Amino acid sequence: MKPTRRSLFSLTAVALASLVCSCHLDRGGMVMVTDPAYRAKLVATHADGLDTPDGILWHEGKLILADEGAGSLRAWGATGGFTTLCDSTTGIHEPEDLVADRQGNVFFTDDGAGGVWEIDHHGRVFLLAGRDQGLPSTEGIALTPSGDILVGDGKRRQVFSVDRAGKVSVFLGRRYGITKTESMVFGEQGELYIADNVDKVVYLLTPRMKLLRLLEKRDGFSPETIWYADEMLYITDSENGKLWRYTPEKGLETIAVFGGSLGHVAGVTTDESGDIFVSIPDLASGMGYIIKLEREQDS
Amino acid sequence: MPIHPFIITAWARVLDHAQAASDRLYEVCNGLVGRSWLFDNLVSLAQQNVLVKAAVLGGCFIAAWHLQRNDETTRRDRRVLMVTLFAALVVAGTTKSLSNSIFLPRPFVQSQAIYYVQGEHLVESKPLPYRVPLDDYHRKVYQDLKKGDVIQNDLVSFPSDHAGFYFTLALGILLVSRPIGWIAMGWTCIVLLASRVITGQHSPLDVVAGSAIGAAVLLVALFVARLLRWPLDQIAGWTIRHQALATVLVFVAVFEASNTLQDLPPLIETCSAIADHLFKG
Repeated sequence: MKPTRRSLFSLTAVALASLVCSCHLDRGGMVMVTDPAYRAKLVATHADGLDTPDGILWHEGKLILADEGAGSLRAWGATGGFTTLCDSTTGIHEPEDLVADRQGNVFFTDDGAGGVWEIDHHGRVFLLAGRDQGLPSTEGIALTPSGDILVGDGKRRQVFSVDRAGKVSVFLGRRYGITKTESMVFGEQGELYIADNVDKVVYLLTPRMKLLRLLEKRDGFSPETIWYADEMLYITDSENGKLWRYTPEKGLETIAVFGGSLGHVAGVTTDESGDIFVSIPDLASGMGYIIKLEREQDS
Repeated sequence: MPIHPFIITAWARVLDHAQAASDRLYEVCNGLVGRSWLFDNLVSLAQQNVLVKAAVLGGCFIAAWHLQRNDETTRRDRRVLMVTLFAALVVAGTTKSLSNSIFLPRPFVQSQAIYYVQGEHLVESKPLPYRVPLDDYHRKVYQDLKKGDVIQNDLVSFPSDHAGFYFTLALGILLVSRPIGWIAMGWTCIVLLASRVITGQHSPLDVVAGSAIGAAVLLVALFVARLLRWPLDQIAGWTIRHQALATVLVFVAVFEASNTLQDLPPLIETCSAIADHLFKG
């Protein structure tokens, strides 16, 4: 046998060893924190009963989350773990995004079942406005200062306003050109931010109803969920595994990069102390994670 | 102790040692940059410049293809080279799909504060030391990394697809001609692959694994080729009878192969779009 052929066989053995050792090298998933003011912490996983979470909301000391994979809305507390607020027996299918008012009523969208759903402060679940009222696949949701609910419909490509009696009217029609209202949030001055993850644009709707394209045409940018707190707009990007923050002064900055099984970062919210929570559904394995980016005490 | 847990533990320990040794070797190699502007730019050239990266290897392949020997030897050489091109294609697919399923960031990315999932916790890893090369390209990449601008391709480094691909080509050439093969192999190892370790794109383990996979696929392909000797012989005979046309085809294949098939996916996409445009309107 020629030396080259012998070398080939030796290298083949190394190749087989490489294949065997590849599982050992796999780091699973990562969070790379680019803002040194934060530290990452895993607060809940599938081992805690989590499925594939999407929208999340910090409300009165608890994290309320739309567990899209399990078809349920759940609340998580640091001490009590998870409690189910409603599940598919009520008719919901794939809860997507949620808001809550000061009275403790929770409103959420469902891109599978459609409509706007409510869990009132007594815990009763009902459909506020459904498919019959022209909401076949609802995505982003926001609460107006007057108490009405704004909801984006992915199939009809419009934003609707729903009052507390369930009456639906068009808020932003097709002429505004928004393709998919994935997420919405109000700023402090009454301005409305809208994330369109198909056109990869973050819109700004002024209180005078002028629609501006705030963030667009950026390489490696696809807004998924947006959240506003402390004069900052937080943006998750599930396509590129990023958590951004935006301020008019500093522009778009990366807070953290997510990769591997943690790459599909979806929902975002903040608590009273400025800690950031993100939800991560691992669609490949059907598992989910809630990660907290804790603000360092001295920052 | 039962035998299976013992083997698994022992194997895990071996792998830990291999990884530790790879990390040490990476640190030594990466320690070469950040000292000389000239050296760093030459190293960067081997990574960024297609002419430097691919032309030498492509030239060696064409030279091996056109070795003037007797008819029988030429047929045998061309059979091996055709199988090599095919094997390189398979290696590209194998290493790509493997790296997509194994999450391991490039060494220069691992120089940052990274938390990895370990069971029910996120554990902060010890950052790998990294010296930034002084050339403009790598300085910009590092500045982008600090700002969080990381492309997904930088999060999957094991095994090195470049190592697999280029090593396969060099090995195929070596099987046909020792002098030309050693030039190709030397260029591949010293210029193409070492530059990737030096600049923190890959660890030595990534490169060794990629090269080994390349060799394994080539070995299997050569074995299968023995069973398909007759059709390959016919094709080799055709290339001898139609030297000019065969050279054109080999040039196109080697051009794309040496450039790690980077132009092929966009070409297929465009052709598919044209087909859709023509047939679906």
